[in-house]
Amino acid sequence: MLLEVLNLSKRYGAIEAVRDVSFSVDAGEIVGVIGPNGSGKTTLFNCILGQTAPSAGEVRFRGERLTGASPLRVSRQGIGRTFQSLQVFGSLGVRDNLIAAAQEFQGSMAGRLVMDSRAGLGARADAMIERFRLGHVAALPAGSLSYGQQKLIDIAMAFMAGPAVVLLDEPAAGINPTLVEELRALLESLNRESGGERPTTFVVIEHNMDFVMRLAQRVLVLAEGRLLAQGTPEEIRAHPEVMEAYLGG
Amino acid sequence: MTLGLSRGQWLLLSTAMIFLLLIPFNLQRFGIYMLSLWCVFVVAAHGLNLTMGYAGQISLGHAAFFGIGAYASALLVKAGLSFWLALPAAGVLCLVAGIVVGFPALRVQHHYLAFATLGFNVLVWLFLRNEEWLTGGNFGVRDIARPSLFGVSLDGNLAFYYACLALLAVASYALAFLLASPWGRAFAALRDNPIRAESLGIDIRAYTLAAFAIGAFYAGIAGAFFAPLVGYIDPSPFHFAQSLSFLMAVIVGGSGRFFGPYLGIAVLILLPEWLRGLSGGGLTKIAQDWYLVGFGLMVLAMMIWSPGGLSGLFGNAFRSSKPK
Repeated sequence: MLLEVLNLSKRYGAIEAVRDVSFSVDAGEIVGVIGPNGSGKTTLFNCILGQTAPSAGEVRFRGERLTGASPLRVSRQGIGRTFQSLQVFGSLGVRDNLIAAAQEFQGSMAGRLVMDSRAGLGARADAMIERFRLGHVAALPAGSLSYGQQKLIDIAMAFMAGPAVVLLDEPAAGINPTLVEELRALLESLNRESGGERPTTFVVIEHNMDFVMRLAQRVLVLAEGRLLAQGTPEEIRAHPEVMEAYLGG
Repeated sequence: MTLGLSRGQWLLLSTAMIFLLLIPFNLQRFGIYMLSLWCVFVVAAHGLNLTMGYAGQISLGHAAFFGIGAYASALLVKAGLSFWLALPAAGVLCLVAGIVVGFPALRVQHHYLAFATLGFNVLVWLFLRNEEWLTGGNFGVRDIARPSLFGVSLDGNLAFYYACLALLAVASYALAFLLASPWGRAFAALRDNPIRAESLGIDIRAYTLAAFAIGAFYAGIAGAFFAPLVGYIDPSPFHFAQSLSFLMAVIVGGSGRFFGPYLGIAVLILLPEWLRGLSGGGLTKIAQDWYLVGFGLMVLAMMIWSPGGLSGLFGNAFRSSKPK
């Protein structure tokens, strides 16, 4: 088991944003997380990723307890993420954004003071730029690019250090339908690709039903902080409670 | 776009250094002295530019580090130590002080951090003024001798100018190499988006402390040169008002731009002296009388219309890797 979440809860005063949620993710899986607005999806991510401390429960990664670890430690353990809102380094070029996303995994902090500027990541950054079709803007400051392009950079950054699992918070939000299709194909190829190494595992929060149902092998449904259901996309589509939670019917 | 300096900027830096090697032959004694002051203040401003411009950590306590460096070098030399040992000692002392002052930055940002660093400056200034047994209080430290190097006395104005220029050259090239290393990228990441940086394994605590420590180190070694340059120090130049001047110089020159401190300190230190030296009435008199008002308006104008400061206005030749 790669990632395990056990009886996780998060309380803000009287509000219980996440209530007793348990699930696990196997290496190589793509797991979707859906649920209406305010159902606790992002809070769940933030608890797993060390952004907020859970009120109760446990997070385990590769069998080791990770509950309450700092975001820095979480990332150093091999867990990548993207945020719901755009999060790139606006003043840095696209290539520098990608190198920044992995340079801290190269050698020691003191060693990087005398290291070549690209920290030996030039080739990997260029490969990622090609894969995400950002070649024509590679040298421009990321902050000057369109929303869709920044979104792609943001996602590409999460993969630069070769994480074992990546948690994506609404990757398809706000980008045009063609790009959504491309993004799905990209994520699928990153998931399949082992290249002698392990495949990349994903947990994806998404509101775009079509996108998540086609991408994910397994879907978790949250409603009012609880895990309402989990199963294959087909099972979820046929689940009466899920339909009710979504349609309010 | 490149990290650190572009090829044109490296060329510009080297050209500037050669120019600065030759320029004193056209200057009188006072001009050489002013240019020495400029070198020393640029080194200190380089430090603030790193902390604030490149790493995004506001500091209103930079003059305190400058003062700690000046007093440390002056007092150690008075105690019989060689200047060349007092210099690194002053630097290291400020490096440590910088780490200590950096700790509040791990908890608070923006105006809270501004007040924390300002508080530090007031504290240091009061110490310099009140602890007479060590610092001489308001009477300061007098007759600070200029050092000699390998038996060559640096006592003359021209000789000490070249010592200050050597300091500026070493400090500038070292900063340029630092900014071109992965550290430069990490500082930019810390400034642009610390939360994202942390999620990518960038130790924002370590880099925040490093930004303060290195910035303070630069101020410290600049201060260590300032003391023998002026020959007499008292607490007044290390008041927090001087920290504001450093801050304004960095902003006017171009925050987060390599040549920002060169221009900002020229406007702050050389321009008023040059204006004072001019004779004649009319416009000259007005410029002399209204210099500070003009400087203040310039800061305002820069913040509104040119966040890149004077370096931003000079276009391509001066453009660094930080367009925002």
